[in-house]
Amino acid sequence: MKYWLDIKAQLKSNIEISIQLLLLLLGIYVMIMSDNERIWKVPLLFVGAFIWFFYRGKTKHPIALIVFSTLLIIDLCYLYFRVANHHFMLLFMVLPVIGYSYHQRIEILSKNMQFLLVIVIMTSVIQKLLSSQFMSGDFYYYMMNRGGMFSRFINFFPENLDVIKENKINIIALNDTNPNDLKTIVLKDIFKNLGFMSLVFAWVTVIVESIVAISILWKPRSTWVHILFTFMIIGILCTRLETGFMALLAICGLILCNNSFLRLVYVLIVLGCITLIVTKIGFH
Amino acid sequence: MPNKSKTFFLKYGVPWLAVIVIVIHFFFTKTQNLNPWKGGGYGMYTGIHFYYNQIYIPGMSSDSLMEANFDIKNTFRDLKIMPNDKNLKEAAELILKITEKDSIQIQIWKPTVNSKNGIYTRVLVNEIYLKKSEL
Repeated sequence: MKYWLDIKAQLKSNIEISIQLLLLLLGIYVMIMSDNERIWKVPLLFVGAFIWFFYRGKTKHPIALIVFSTLLIIDLCYLYFRVANHHFMLLFMVLPVIGYSYHQRIEILSKNMQFLLVIVIMTSVIQKLLSSQFMSGDFYYYMMNRGGMFSRFINFFPENLDVIKENKINIIALNDTNPNDLKTIVLKDIFKNLGFMSLVFAWVTVIVESIVAISILWKPRSTWVHILFTFMIIGILCTRLETGFMALLAICGLILCNNSFLRLVYVLIVLGCITLIVTKIGFH
Repeated sequence: MPNKSKTFFLKYGVPWLAVIVIVIHFFFTKTQNLNPWKGGGYGMYTGIHFYYNQIYIPGMSSDSLMEANFDIKNTFRDLKIMPNDKNLKEAAELILKITEKDSIQIQIWKPTVNSKNGIYTRVLVNEIYLKKSEL
C-alpha cells in the first residue's frame, strides 16, 4: 500500500515528471544523433556540460534543455529532410518547456501541448486521406505480408513466418531484375481475406485518429479522452514499435491528464518506450 | 510586449510554427516529390517506406556504388527521400565524376501493390539521362 501511495504522491506533480521524462528522452535521442555534424556539437556539448556542472543550481536558466534544443536545431539546419518526424515534434515540445521554466504558467504549457497534439494527429489523418495507397488498404496489405506490422505477434504463427519469408525472397528476386521489363510478382497472403481486412483496418485507423484529435481539441482533460488516447498509443505500439514518437505523445498526454491511474499508464508507456529505444528493440 | 500579446504568443507561437513546417512539407511533396515520411509532415506509415525505392542505373549496381563511396551513399539517400530533378542531376554528376563514364541514365522506381489480387510491381517516379559534355 505504501508503495502505491509513494507512486500516487509522485504522480501528483505531473508537469515536473513530464519534464523529467522529456529530458531523459531528449538526452537519449541527442546521444543517438551525436555522430552527425560533430564540428558544432563537440564545442556546444563541452561548454554546455561545463555550465550545467558548475552553475545548474545558481541560475534560473534551464541549461540542459537549452543545450539539447540547440543540438536539435543544428541537426535540423543540416539534415532537415533526413531527420524523422519525431525530431520536429521533440523540438516543438522542448520550446514550450523552456518557456515554462521562465513563466511557470501551467495553462500556457498545457495549451501548447494540446494544440501540438491536435495538429500532429490531424495532419497524420490528412496525410492518410491523401494517400491512395493507404486508403485502398494496399499499404497495410504490403506491410503485413512483408512482416512489417504485428511482427511480435506473427512470431506465434510459424506458418505465417514462412509466407513472409517467401514474399521477401520473391521481392528481392524481382528487385534484381530490370524494372523497365515491368515484371510483376504475386504476394502470398498471411491470412485469408487480408485485402479486405487491410481496407477495414485503414478506415478504422483514420476514424480512431480523427476522433482522438477532435476529442483532445474539445475536452483535453476529460478522463474518457485520455482512455481513448492511451488505447490509441498502445494500439499503435502493438502494430509496430514506433517507440520514439509514442513516448512523445504519452508525455503530452501526461501533461494534460488529471487522472492518477491514467497518469501512471502514460508514465509506464514512456518508460517502456525509453527502455526499448535504449536496447534498440524499438525505433528512436 | 504587452501582457495579452505575450500570453497569446506563448500559447500559440509553437503550434503555429508546427503548422508552418507542415505547410512547407506539403509544398515540397507537391512540387519536389518529397516523400511523405520526411520533412515534418507526419506522413509516416501512409505509404511504403522510401527505403524500398529502387535506384536503377543500367550496367551498374547502385548497391556497389553506395558501398564504394560515402558521398554517393548520401546522395542516393537524398534521392530516395526526394526524387526531384535537382537531386537526380546531382547524383548523375557525381557518378560521372567518379566513374569517368561519358553518359549516364538514372531511374528511380517505387514499389506498388494491389491488395485485391496481390500483384506487386514497380512504377517509374523520375529519371535523368546526362552526358559528360553537358556538364
